[in-house]
Amino acid sequence: MAAKIMVKGLSLWYDGKQALKDITMDVPEKKVTAIIGPSGCGKSTFIRCLNRMNDIVNGCRVEGEVTIDGESIYRNNADVVKLRKTVGMVFQKPNPFPFSIYDNVAYGCRVAGINNKKTLKEVVERSLKKAALYEEVCDRLRDSAMSLSGGQQQRLCMARALAIEPEIILMDEPCSALDPIATAKIEGLIRELREEYTVVIVTHNMQQAARVSDYTAYLYIGKLIEYGITRQIFENPKEESTEKYITGRFG
Amino acid sequence: MKSRFHGELKEIKKDVLKMGDLARGMLKNSIAALMKQDNELADEVLSHKEEIMDMNDEIEHRCLQAISMYQPMARDMRVIGACLKLITYLTRIGRYGKDIATVAKELSGKPHLAKLVSIPHMAELVDGMISDGLTAFEKKDISLLENFGERDDDIDALRYSIFRECLTYMMEDSKNITRCMHYAMIARYLERCADHACKMAEKITYAITGERVEIK
Repeated sequence: MAAKIMVKGLSLWYDGKQALKDITMDVPEKKVTAIIGPSGCGKSTFIRCLNRMNDIVNGCRVEGEVTIDGESIYRNNADVVKLRKTVGMVFQKPNPFPFSIYDNVAYGCRVAGINNKKTLKEVVERSLKKAALYEEVCDRLRDSAMSLSGGQQQRLCMARALAIEPEIILMDEPCSALDPIATAKIEGLIRELREEYTVVIVTHNMQQAARVSDYTAYLYIGKLIEYGITRQIFENPKEESTEKYITGRFG
Repeated sequence: MKSRFHGELKEIKKDVLKMGDLARGMLKNSIAALMKQDNELADEVLSHKEEIMDMNDEIEHRCLQAISMYQPMARDMRVIGACLKLITYLTRIGRYGKDIATVAKELSGKPHLAKLVSIPHMAELVDGMISDGLTAFEKKDISLLENFGERDDDIDALRYSIFRECLTYMMEDSKNITRCMHYAMIARYLERCADHACKMAEKITYAITGERVEIK
């Protein structure tokens, strides 16, 4: 497997309290990697390290190395704006801006200085199509994003992330606020996205991890306990702790 | 939620073991009925035919329900998968018991051609394999399954020896053909039961260790 992201000896502290402990793993390119583990094990903290989202948290200190395509994202002269363009993110709760559907998707491009109407129109259409939302909203692109259902809002957030043409998409429990039908749509979308993007998804739902991911990492109290091919992790985990967690004996 | 699942899984396992006892009982009693020419005992075996089918359906239903309700993972999933396979093998073993009981009734009118030695010996070996398989499943102890390949070879050899013996009697007197065909069929049924015991051992090993093995 070709590694898109390489994490080496990653540790993180919030105000002196260690949240991640010496994590080393390679995230393969154009695959879906799921991060599972009980609440508070550091799943979200871990993926937020991959686009330096933890930088804005006071008292947060990071050690170790994260490289994307061989370049360290924590090096002194790293371009964080470029990093966030390379690494898109979708959060637990859909968080569209209080603008129209069109403006939500076009936002990233406008910030990047693209104002050509034709280009923007193309980007919006392409991104909405990739997020499997275009058919549902093509006749009301100027309506408020707030008028969409939760599942549609989440796909809009995905379209917004895709508009800036990232290479990596991070998803922090993208379906936890959605009903089963909306969840199925997002999961279908995740499977399609792997054709073009490297996806890292945090999920509480182990069946979801089993359904959508190629690789699964199990974190427990900040440590990477087991990492491997999803089928192996869910059928025959090597570590006792993984076995206990995924069979619901704790967590 | 999960503790309810584990409670249910325990109950399912218990019922699989109970079904195993029933299948073993049917097989053992059918051989005993054959040996003693005891029609009553043969009828008793036949009376369990529906019961073993019902147990199969009931356990299968509960396994599928547990899968749909709790989506088990890892060892839990492997154990449920093994239960679903074991009940099929056990049903077949029970059915062979029923088939042997039917033959026992047919043969009960006249004395056996000779003292039956190999058939009860073979039955004992087969029962030992089924019993060890079920104990391994119950106690999660795969050491009991280690030599199943050799044990199966012994049973295959016994079947062949019974077949050769039957051929001799058949060539001696064509009136013996029907009887001998029945003996040869019984040996074949027992051999198939041993094959099922081997398949059980493979599934049990997978459930306990997660490693797939093939018993040859």
